[in-house]
Amino acid sequence: MRISVYIVIFILLGLAGCSQNESKESELALIKKTDPNPVLIDENTEGNLDLVTNIKEEIASYKEIYDVAVVKGKKDTLVVYKVKHLQRFHMKKIEKKIKGRLDKKFPDEKFTVSSDYKIFLEAVKLNEKMQNPDYSEKKANKRLKEIIELKNEMA
Amino acid sequence: MADKKKKNLTPAQQKYQGLQQKHELKRPVLKNCIKAFWVGGLICTIGQAVTYFYIYFFNFTEQTAGNPTVATMVFFSMLLTGFGIYDHLGQYAGAGSAVPVTGFGNAVISAAIEHRTEGFVLGVGGNMFKLAGAVILFGVFSAFVVALIKTILIQWGVL
Repeated sequence: MRISVYIVIFILLGLAGCSQNESKESELALIKKTDPNPVLIDENTEGNLDLVTNIKEEIASYKEIYDVAVVKGKKDTLVVYKVKHLQRFHMKKIEKKIKGRLDKKFPDEKFTVSSDYKIFLEAVKLNEKMQNPDYSEKKANKRLKEIIELKNEMA
Repeated sequence: MADKKKKNLTPAQQKYQGLQQKHELKRPVLKNCIKAFWVGGLICTIGQAVTYFYIYFFNFTEQTAGNPTVATMVFFSMLLTGFGIYDHLGQYAGAGSAVPVTGFGNAVISAAIEHRTEGFVLGVGGNMFKLAGAVILFGVFSAFVVALIKTILIQWGVL
């Protein structure tokens, strides 16, 4: 009996011990509000900086959601948010509403909208990687594409 | 039905039944519910932690993390059944340990352990799904019915 309890504790500690080399913001992104700054991968276009800020403000104005991350790449713009716990029953409706409003207000942009924690986490991680000057635009665009593919994956 | 049966009893039998009811221990329904609630809730919390583990450390989204989580929880309960811990948990929590998916793992392994003495093929192989077989059958059937309804609703444009 005692040995089996030790084995279970060992497994749980083993699982918990996997957390290494993670920076702080993304580490807590699933638990608390991180409110990351909007990211513009192609930094040469100054006007787009206002665009991503506008997009973030537009989404943050919804009372059903509480944390928004926006990443604008070469072609696609990723918008991820967290839905308040009691509003999670209406997640699909909220997603539809947000997508419709964004498409109407910014018709030139191609939006990918998600409320998935994993996509949010990856967006925050990408944001952190972008702080590093060695992280190239090409790599960032590739990563953004991978995140969007992950979002569209069903099973 | 019960009243009809009671009418057929002799006075002595009825007197005995009254006496028996007087001394019978009452089922602690509320206490059992509370136990089932907190143990079932604890199992679900562990399941949620496993989901977060898959989301955090692997390439699973909230939508896709469900499958490996279920597999992991069933595997955990199979291990605990083998070690003899899940039996105590089942005795304490009742439905709280049987209703979550971990109860499925327990049903498979406990039947396998019980029939181990009858040999590996006819004993373990033949009886392993004695309890869990019903879960699989009705699970698959109800999934089929729900999928059928969903397909029809999508075809009609309701969903």
